[in-house]
Amino acid sequence: MTTATSPIATAPRLGWFNSLPSVTRRTITGYLFIMPFILGFLFWFLAPALVAVWLTFTDWNLIRAPRYVGFDNIWRLGTDKLFWQSLKVTTLYTLASVPLGLVLAFLLALLINTKVRGIAFFRTIYYLPSIVPAVASAVLWAWIFNTEFGLLNAILRWFGIARIAWLQDPTYALWALIMMSLWGVGGAMIIYLAGLQGIPDVYYEAAEIDGAGRLRQLWNITLPLLSPVIFFNLIMSIIGTFQVFTAGYLITDGGPQNATLFYVLYLYRNGFEYLNMGYAAALAWVLFFIILVLTLLIFRYVGGMVHYEDNT
Amino acid sequence: MSGQGVSRRQFLKISGMSLAAVGLAACAPAAPQPGAGEGAAPSSEVVTISFMGWGNPGEDEGVRNAIAVFEEETPNVKVTWMHTPENYAEKFLANVAAGTPPDTAFVGSDVYRTYIRDGLLLDITDYLELDPLLGAENYFIEPQESERCTVDGRWYGIGSCWVAPHIYYNADIFEAEGIEPPSNDPDEAWTWEQFVDTARALTVDVNGNHPGDSGFDVQNVDRWGVHWDYSNGTVLYSAVNINGAHWIEPDTLKLDIDTPAGVEAIQNLADLMLVHQVMPQSTAFQGLGMTNTQMLENGKLAMAIDGSWALDWMKNMRATLGTSVLPQMSRVATNMQAHLHSGMSGSKNPDAAWAWVRFLSTPFYQTQFCRTGLWLPSQTALMTEEGLTEWITEGVHPTDYYKIATEYLPRFGMVLYQPIGWPRANSVIQPALDAIWIGDMTAEEALTAAVPEANAILEEEQART
Repeated sequence: MTTATSPIATAPRLGWFNSLPSVTRRTITGYLFIMPFILGFLFWFLAPALVAVWLTFTDWNLIRAPRYVGFDNIWRLGTDKLFWQSLKVTTLYTLASVPLGLVLAFLLALLINTKVRGIAFFRTIYYLPSIVPAVASAVLWAWIFNTEFGLLNAILRWFGIARIAWLQDPTYALWALIMMSLWGVGGAMIIYLAGLQGIPDVYYEAAEIDGAGRLRQLWNITLPLLSPVIFFNLIMSIIGTFQVFTAGYLITDGGPQNATLFYVLYLYRNGFEYLNMGYAAALAWVLFFIILVLTLLIFRYVGGMVHYEDNT
Repeated sequence: MSGQGVSRRQFLKISGMSLAAVGLAACAPAAPQPGAGEGAAPSSEVVTISFMGWGNPGEDEGVRNAIAVFEEETPNVKVTWMHTPENYAEKFLANVAAGTPPDTAFVGSDVYRTYIRDGLLLDITDYLELDPLLGAENYFIEPQESERCTVDGRWYGIGSCWVAPHIYYNADIFEAEGIEPPSNDPDEAWTWEQFVDTARALTVDVNGNHPGDSGFDVQNVDRWGVHWDYSNGTVLYSAVNINGAHWIEPDTLKLDIDTPAGVEAIQNLADLMLVHQVMPQSTAFQGLGMTNTQMLENGKLAMAIDGSWALDWMKNMRATLGTSVLPQMSRVATNMQAHLHSGMSGSKNPDAAWAWVRFLSTPFYQTQFCRTGLWLPSQTALMTEEGLTEWITEGVHPTDYYKIATEYLPRFGMVLYQPIGWPRANSVIQPALDAIWIGDMTAEEALTAAVPEANAILEEEQART
């Protein structure tokens, strides 16, 4: 509470501010408070994004001044085999890892939503991998997938299965990275857990009195009431998997035979290795539109299935 | 809510103006101005120049030592070290794009020619020719130094050192098996047959069988004969060099590996895994901390073909380390390259930039890293009997290692050319090689298809104006 005698209130330069109507003062104060976000958004997101629109129409190698080339970068997409390959790889990765991740995270959330002794410990254990830095995870999994000395092939050997060149054979490399992605489901799991804990017990108690079994409760209570959370995780996972980069960059470098050439890895290579920043900007905008359209489609066709409790 | 309309409009107006300013700033021309350094500071005035480079903690320390000595010798120039160990190329280019390139920098041999074409690097030819020390005939190993540094006869940087692939081996294994190890003397280089036979003799499965024996179990190998690190470009290319071919032909600046010699060399390398079964398949982990060093050390590997730089860590292994020149398929050879030190054409202090680049090419700086095993010298003064005592270090360099520097590189080293557009051309070559290594395609099938496509990319990139 500022009093009339405080130095701030008596500072002459704020006199104009005090003379404003109180609603205006509150509005300005409000905007000042959110200014850090707004400035960050403008300077670090919107401005670069708009510059990238312009770069899409240029040939720019980061060294010389950008040169306007019209729609060349857009037409080039049509004939660029690696663009289509990266799109295919990323789509496959999304199609496999998103449903697997959603189901696994959900099952784990159900598991750690039980009231047993030491549950906090288990929750920590299952969540831990998702806060391990991506590079450390990549190193760990590179060892697990190693053809000669890897843990995975050692397990296969116990079952008499011949070793697999997980990261050298194009048939398996993408699957290896999909498997690895499941290691990080802890984030989605925690969101499910929060959702599960928000479901009032009374529903389950009522269902039990009505004679509903566990599966029936899961189907008729848990899933509908959790559907906004599932929907949220679905959208976030799709956005995340379309932007996947680290595993392909660190473990396989896009190989073997471009089997793990993720879209963003290809974009990065164009920008910083091939020095085609104009083309990289075009790729970035295409990715933005792909994600936008997918998100809108999901809202249109899946959003209707989401149950909102306060929906009247 | 009546007051909100006005302030929102004002707010949007201010935001819009800020945004426009950012946009304009981002679009400002970033290209360096050739000749901008003409107004260099007079020599009495102290100038500060920046120096950008990568490097592990040891290299970081070496640069700091060098700056201390340089600033003492050259009191009117101060050097600000911008140590950038990770994602160097991106950060360097971001500085260039922002219109604030450093005055001097490490320049990778893979981008050197691109940067020259785009006018980024300072032409130091006149400085160099007038310099009594560096300009002297045969100060550097020639003709290799001129070959790597000059474009149309002009110099835009000086090589930091040389590095070259060669053999490392666990000498204890050779002794235990009673096999004569290979030599550092290029005149005693093994033939390819000798190399493969030795690798076969040294490869053994858990039951004691060697490749070719009935019952040899390739799934359960206890010790591999050799590991040729084909995941590292330089090390891979040396296989082509020892068959008398270039990876990139220096005259045409095109890929030359679809020739009979190139195809044969790459097939020979793949056959170490696919036919002779003396080499493990997995090499995808080199960047992730798992190296052939541990395998050599714990006796799971007898020989490793890797870059000379690896001596910096190989020297620490507990087993007895030996080194040798590469085997020959049709000729004794290896390739040689290293990053360069360059001034930037946009520097306001080109004289100071040259003074620093020049200092980095004097023995003090190079010797530091030669002593640790990371570098091989590029200065002839470090290859005389007296010069060798400056850097050959007991406990680092194995017996007769000096011959790699004094005989192997000067006589048989082929400068590795990486022309404009090479990284993009490699996007076609790498998948072809992946298919060869696992036997999906023969070298001939894969390279006959990929090389013309890669060369078309090189042509397109080299014509990019």
